[in-house]
Formats: sequence, structure tokens, C-alpha cells
Amino acid sequence: MSDTFFFKVDGLNTWFFTRKGTIKSVRDISFEVARGEVLGIVGESGSGKSVTGMSIMGQIDEPGRIVSGSISLDGQELTGLDFEEMRHYRGNRIAMVFQNPLMTLNPLMRVRDQMYEAISAHESVPRKEMYDRCIEALRSVGIPSPEERLNAYPHEMSGGMRQRVVIAIALLLGPDLIIADEPTTALDVTIQAQIIYQIRRQIDERGLGMIWITHDLSTLSELADRIMVMYAGAMMEIGTTEEIIGAARHPYTRKLLESVPSRNAPGEKLKQIPGNMPSLLTLGEGCPFANRCERMTDICRQPVQARQLSETHRIWCYHPFED
Amino acid sequence: MSIASFQDFARRFAESRSAVISLTVSLVFVFCAIFAPLLAPTDPYDLTHLQLSDALKPTGSKRMLPGEEVRVNIRVNNGAITVLPASPTKTRLSLAASSCGPNCLTVSVEPTAARLGSLQVRNLPNGATIEGAKKHPIQPWWTIDNPESSEVRITSATSLPASFTLLAIAKSLDQETDFVFRLGTDNFGRDMLSAILYGIRISVVVGLVAAGAAMVLGTALGLFAAWQRGVTDAIIMRAVDFMLGLPALLIGLAILAILGNGVSKVVLAIVIVQWSYYARTARSFAMSELGKEYVEAARCLRLSPVRIMLRHVLPNCMPQIIVLFTLNIAAAISMESSLSFLGVGLPLTRPSLGMLIASGYEFIFSQKYWISIYPGVVLLVMIVAMNLLGDRLRDLNNPRLDR
Amino acid sequence: MNEMIFEAKDLSRSFAVGSSPLQDFTDHFLRNRQPAVLRAVDNVSMTLNEGETLGVVGESGCGKSTLARMIAGILPASSGERRFRGEDYDSFLRRKRDALKVQMVFQDPMSSLNPRLRVGEIVGEAAVLHGLVPRSRVKDYVVDILARVGLPADSVGRYPHQFSGGQRQRVGIARALAVKPDMLICDEAVAALDVSVQAQIINLLLDIRRDSGLAMIFISHDLGVIRHLCDRVAVMYLGRVVELAKTSELFASPTHPYTRMLLDGMPKISAQRRRFMPIQGEIPSPLNPPSGCHFHPRCPMVTDHCHRVRPELREIEPGHVHACLNVEPHSKRL
Repeated sequence: MSDTFFFKVDGLNTWFFTRKGTIKSVRDISFEVARGEVLGIVGESGSGKSVTGMSIMGQIDEPGRIVSGSISLDGQELTGLDFEEMRHYRGNRIAMVFQNPLMTLNPLMRVRDQMYEAISAHESVPRKEMYDRCIEALRSVGIPSPEERLNAYPHEMSGGMRQRVVIAIALLLGPDLIIADEPTTALDVTIQAQIIYQIRRQIDERGLGMIWITHDLSTLSELADRIMVMYAGAMMEIGTTEEIIGAARHPYTRKLLESVPSRNAPGEKLKQIPGNMPSLLTLGEGCPFANRCERMTDICRQPVQARQLSETHRIWCYHPFED
Repeated sequence: MSIASFQDFARRFAESRSAVISLTVSLVFVFCAIFAPLLAPTDPYDLTHLQLSDALKPTGSKRMLPGEEVRVNIRVNNGAITVLPASPTKTRLSLAASSCGPNCLTVSVEPTAARLGSLQVRNLPNGATIEGAKKHPIQPWWTIDNPESSEVRITSATSLPASFTLLAIAKSLDQETDFVFRLGTDNFGRDMLSAILYGIRISVVVGLVAAGAAMVLGTALGLFAAWQRGVTDAIIMRAVDFMLGLPALLIGLAILAILGNGVSKVVLAIVIVQWSYYARTARSFAMSELGKEYVEAARCLRLSPVRIMLRHVLPNCMPQIIVLFTLNIAAAISMESSLSFLGVGLPLTRPSLGMLIASGYEFIFSQKYWISIYPGVVLLVMIVAMNLLGDRLRDLNNPRLDR
Repeated sequence: MNEMIFEAKDLSRSFAVGSSPLQDFTDHFLRNRQPAVLRAVDNVSMTLNEGETLGVVGESGCGKSTLARMIAGILPASSGERRFRGEDYDSFLRRKRDALKVQMVFQDPMSSLNPRLRVGEIVGEAAVLHGLVPRSRVKDYVVDILARVGLPADSVGRYPHQFSGGQRQRVGIARALAVKPDMLICDEAVAALDVSVQAQIINLLLDIRRDSGLAMIFISHDLGVIRHLCDRVAVMYLGRVVELAKTSELFASPTHPYTRMLLDGMPKISAQRRRFMPIQGEIPSPLNPPSGCHFHPRCPMVTDHCHRVRPELREIEPGHVHACLNVEPHSKRL
């Protein structure tokens, strides 16, 4: 399996240098994505999952900066690229989908013009072919009567329809990797289910890699092949969906799963994680979860090394659960 | 606002150098306004001290004391000399007479330092002469022009009569004093520096009072419109549209044409023009605040509408209103100056900056630039500083520009 | 226990969309057009017993937030009846101090607290103004309430922005509790929170309900949370209640096709990846809802009848009502 990994992130550190101090939003993140695979990154707000996505897209703005680490696509290093070089990769090879489709869609332009623009920014194609590709892309994400939708403005569509259009634009140029940051969080359950179904089909058919960033473990359990759990800017656990959902070894992952209402008896108190996420300004060397962890001992104050539990399952913990 | 967040605000404010400079300049102007009577070398409102001889003096010239004339009757009666003032005017000059031997009389001017234009003695007895003096061709008047010394000697070859009366008239030249008009004088002889300082005072007071009153009125109406919605809102907002549709200066002119001039009327005119800005701003921000959940929570806590608007909504609209206030002070000052320039603003006796500019306007082509230029520069600096300050506050308020 | 605390009968609320008096005027006289009307809540009837928790679930645009605000008395009803302990709601709301018995917890931890007020005032203001507590004792009172929701005493002097999302939601709950309500309406109170924080807040609500016997109306789009907290659940679709039943019964044997679809779409955590059935259809615009049964364009068992007839709520079992023309009582399985 490891030879199919075409996208690799290794030792990524993205820090923000603010007046109040250095916010180490992402610390030593390493993962890889294979073709035809959905990697889910799950974490609560402040876990650094979105910053990871932005780092890959080269969209970290002042006062933030990628301090160290490598991001490579088919062996090509992306971290040192300047804006123009990165533009070639953005959209063409790597596409991004945000939570709010209105961040991507221009409210003053018809869907058709926005899609044409996306294509012509990267290649010169006759109009007829552009039209066919747009129709095909819209149809592939389950938009009914795509010919009519092409002429619509974003405000004429529902939230779910807009998000589908954004995904269709992301698919237009046949990227190798799509990064989706909370793409269905704002959508209703039934619409979310439809979109996830369509995306899964596209991934399988086209052999894309996808990074799906969310706080919602239940969505991931239905979509992702592998799941990476982040907490306070660091990796906690990474493994296949079966390993994470079915046999989580990290105390944080366990707690996270246990606190979901549907995993508790109705009316009983939920198993909650006490305390709050630590401030990223005042993190120590050790495990960031230590203060809220019931298995914490003195050694947890030391920097944590990855522990390989199986070929796919890695964990950053001194006291993992045994299975 | 807590201390920490104020410190943060101050630090972000200080990131812009132009903002710090404009704040400093604005504070200097406020200082000038408050302490104008102490800072100004003269009181420009005191009309009795004005003298036309000082009018239109350029920068750096000194104040002149005008020439004076003193007349006394000198009565000699059997050797006794009495000096009687012939005219009751108070002058710095005085004349004295004394005997200087037989058939000799000295008339002297006090103070001796005074430079005299002429000294004339009339009605000399027959035979008496004055050294170095010219006699009038017909009258018995003896005159010395530009006398070297401050006294004259009347001598006679024959003996003088036992009693006679002379009339002595001394005229002094204009005299320079130590007082310097640092910025020149206007056409009434007013010291421009003092006039500008007092003008700043009037402009700042009118600006603050007018913008402040407009803020209170406009904000209240805006909040009321936002709370009432419906017809009330529509009426108030159409009034706002109407006010914003007309040129501000035209409205001001019309109001002052009806009411006449005066500080309070100028303030009223500015309030009538400016309330609409506050009403519109207050309404739109209050509307967006009213849509927030904390207002719904306040309604759920059954708080009265007045309390919700004043205690909950208004403080959240205040930053935007304060920005508008800062910008509108500048607008009020410039409007007051414009109205005064057009001659409908403040009375001539209490000149504001605009009035000073206007009064110098007719002389500007005769190279007497200082009357208009200096108040103009001061006005320009003041308005630019206020605007930069307002702009900076607005930027700080805009979360999109904040990182 | 089975005393009724709140009752809504045929409650409706419509909004004129994007209208102003001027626009109304031009629409009426010049364009000869009726202003667009959004029926956010359409003839909803429900009851809430003392100490009971009723869940309201539905997708965006189903009118659940409008319903919450009508029940809380901060939005007037267009038509229909509301009663609090048998008393007509309008006269109840007029007695300000009694009206405090109904309180609400809001969704957005950012905008539901006034950013310019300290927590002490946010929580204590209404209690002092309505004379529940003398001004001299309000600080101790607020500290007590904050302790109940798990906030330290020094929170009193702090501003909302100095708290995390979960803590702010606790402040919001404290604000409601400070006026000693008998009925609490939670409008998506945990939707904006992270999973671990969400669990903390749900536990807090469970504690409060156990300690004070509050009746609650819990509004959410999250079926998992609803199932965990509620005794009964009402499912809403485009302004109408389509099914109302005991929680266990609704989740075990939903009868309305929409409820079934909702339950199918609900993501479940399981190590076995489930392949979705594609569910077709968009949520129609509430501005222009489908005729007859609102759900008919998406319904798998639609008949001609559904296009024309508006289904009324029918009891299919004691305490279990739904609004479907095709699913007959006692034939719950199709």
C-alpha cells in the first residue's frame, strides 16, 4: 500500500508569530494520502486541522509561516514554491473546498462563467469542450438538470446545491488531491448524506486522493478510509477507520468517541472529557492532552514519540489502551 | 471597556504614525481652545484697544503708539508761573515751564524721551523770540519742527511784561513699542495670533457642541426608528434621505438667513444638517445588533425596550458613532467656517477662523496675504488632523482590517 | 407530573418577505401584487408537561427556531393559541415578573452574550430589575448561579470574549436560570460546540433538569442529541409537525416517510463503513412550498392524493401522531 502514496506531509510545523507570542498551531504533522483514498482529519476547534489544510494549499498568511517540514506531491516539494509556481498546483493538482461555499463562489457571476474561468486559468480549451466538461462535472456531483444550473447565479441555489457546485468546480481540472474543510457541516442531514454519497463515488471512480477535515467523527466513520485524530496542534492517533472507530487506543480518541450521544444510553449522563483545550501559547513539551487525561503520569511531560501499532495504526501516547 | 482591552486598543492605534500625530495635533488645538485667553497676547474682542494705525501690518512688525498732542496755557504773573492744561485729554505727554533768569523762560516736554514732531508756542509777548523756531508769517506762533531737545527757551531782549499768557502745543511722533505682531494684523489692527487662538476656541467649541448635539439627537432618532420599525422608521428615514439629499451648506445658509447670525444659531444649523448621519448610522447598526441573540435574550428576560436599547444595543453601536462623531467635528468646523466666510455665521466682533479668512480675502491681492493664509493653514491642519483621527478609529473598528 | 405547563394550538407565524411600508404601498397600488409571505410555522399544535423534555427536530427552514421564539414569547404569533398553565399567553406575558418563568438558551455562544457587559451583569441584571434579588446581594446570588453551571466565582468580573465557547454557553444557561424559570427553551444550544464541549453542556442540562424539574423544549437538528435528552420528539418539515411521539418509539418505529428518511440520513458511528442509499431531492423553498403534503416531491410513497390534500395529524397509537395520508394506523411497516 505504501508505494501508492502520492501525497506526503512530513514533519509539518506551522506557527503564527503574534504579539502575544508564538502560536504553534501545527506541530510535527506527518501523513500521506493514496489514490482513491479519503483521509479524514478530525479534531475540535483549535486542533490545527484547518491550518494543516491551509498549509498544504500554501495559504498561510502573515503572521503565520510554515516553519519546517515538507509537503510533496508525486515527489515534487511544495513548501518552497512561490506564488506563481503554487498557482499551477492550486486547482490543477490540488483543489480545496471550504465550509462556506460563498467563500469560493462569486455572487455576481453565473455558475457557467465561474467554471469557465476555473478551466481557462489553467489550460486553453475550446468553449464547446469547456461546456461539456462543466456539464459532466455538475452531473457527477448529483446536480439535476445541470444545463439550467449553469446559467444560475449562486444566490438562486440552496446551500446544498452551492456546495455541490463548489465540489464540481474542484473536480473540473481533474485534480489529484481534494482538500475539503468541513464541507458538509453547514448542511442538513439528508443533503449531507447525498453529498457524501456522491463524493465517495467520485473518489472511487476517478482514483482521487482526498483529505476531509471535520470535527464530526460520525461523518468520517461513513466516508473515510483512514482517520487522523488531532488535538491542540499535534497528532494523537492515525489509522484505518476500523482501527480508529472500532479499536481506538489513544485515551483522547476513546473519550471523543464515548462523548458522542448516540454511544451513550439515552437520558444517562454522557461520558465527558473534563476541562478545556490548553492554550496553544503555553504548551509544554509533552502530550498536550495530559492535563485532561486520566491515564496521565509524569512521563507524559516528556516529548511523545510515535508508536507503530500495526502497519497502518500509529499513536502518540505513553499509556495507550490495550486491546 | 476593561483596562487590558483599552491598552490593546491604544497599542493598535499607535501602530499608525499619522494617527498619533493627528491625535497630538488635535489635542494641541483643544489645549489652545481651552487656554486661549492665557496664550493670546491680546484680547481681540476688546475693541477699545484696537487702533487703526496698526491695521494691515505685516508679520513681525511692532505695535506703534500713535502721536499725541498736548496744549497748555502758561501764565506768567509777576514772576509766578502756572501751567494750566488747555485741553482735558489724557496723554502721556505733559508740559512744564520754568524761569531761566531775567527775561528768560523754559518750556519743557515730559517725558524727555518722547520724540516730538513739533513744539509750538503761541502768543509770545512782543520782542520775545525762540531760538531755532520759525515764526508764522502772520500769527505770533513760533514753531520748531522735529526738535532736537525736549525743551525750548524763550528769550527777550527787552524785559518781559509783568504778566502774560502763552499757549504751548507739543506734538509727539508715532512711537514704536516692544509689542510684536507675530502674525501681523488684520484690517482693524487686531493681532492675528490672538485672533487665531480665539478663533480656534470658537471653532472647536462650535464643532464639539454642534457635533455632540447632533450625535445625541441623531442617535436617539436612529435607535427609535430601529426599535419601532414600520411607519415610524419609514418617516424618520425618509427625513434622513431628504436631509442627505440637500447640500449641507445650502441648508445652513437657509437656516441662518431665517434666524440671523450668532454662535447658537450656527450650532443649531449644523445640528439640523448633521443629525441625519447619526440617525442613519445608529439605525443600521442598531438593526444589526437587534438581530443578535443577546437582544432576544434580553427580551426573554422581559427587560423594557428603553433599557434594551440604551443598555444593550447602544453601547454596541457606540464605536461606530464615535468614529462618525470625530469625522463630524471636522465637518462641523469646516461648515461653521464656510458659513462665517459667507458672512452669515458669527458676528464680526467675535471672529472665527472662517471669518478671519473672509476678512483677509479682500486684501489677498494686495500682498497682504497673512490675514487669510494663517487662519486658513490653521483650519486646514485642524480639519486634516480630525479626519485622520476619525479614519484611524474607523479602521480600528473594522474587524476586516484587524488581524 | 402530568400537569400541562404549556400548550400550543394551531400556532402559525408568517413573515412578509423583504417588505417595507413603502414597498407594500407600491406593491399594492402600482404593481398590483401581493407581497411574498413566508409561512415559517404553519398550524403547529403541541403540549408540554411539567418536568418533561420535548424535542423539536427538523432541517434548516423547517421553522423550528421561529417556533422556539413564539413559545418563548419574544415573537408574536400570527394566529393560534398559546397557553401557560392554562392561562392565555398574552395576559401571562403582560405580567413581566411571571413571564420570566419561560426562558431561552440560544445557539450562538458568540452573539448570545452582550460583549460590552460583564458576566456578573449579564446574569444578574434581570433578577435585580425584576426584584427577585436585592441589588446588595446580587453578587453572591450570581456567584451561586455560576457555580451551578460550573463556572468559577471570578467569572463575575470578566467579559464574554474572555471565555471559551463552552463557557459562554454556560453563561447563557446561567442567565436563564438566574430568573428561576419553570420552562426552558434550548434553541440549538449545543450545535455550535465541539464534541467534547457538547457532552459537557448536555450533562449540565441533564443535571439542571434533574435538580430543578424544569420542563424543557429542546430544539435541534441533531437526532443523536435529541434522542439522548428528550422524552418526546416532534419532527417538523417546512413549518409543519409531521410526526410526534415518545422518543423511544419514534426512533424504534418511525412511521412518517420523512422521519424515516431523516433517521436513515443520520450518520452513525460504526467501524463498518456503510454505503449510502442516494436520497433524492432538495428541501423546497419555504417561500413556495409544495401543495398538499409538503413532503410529496421527495416522498417514496407519494400518490395523487398527496398533491392535493393537506394531511392532518392523526393518532396512530396513543401518544403517537403523524401527518401522512398513506401510512395507516396499525400498519406501521410498509
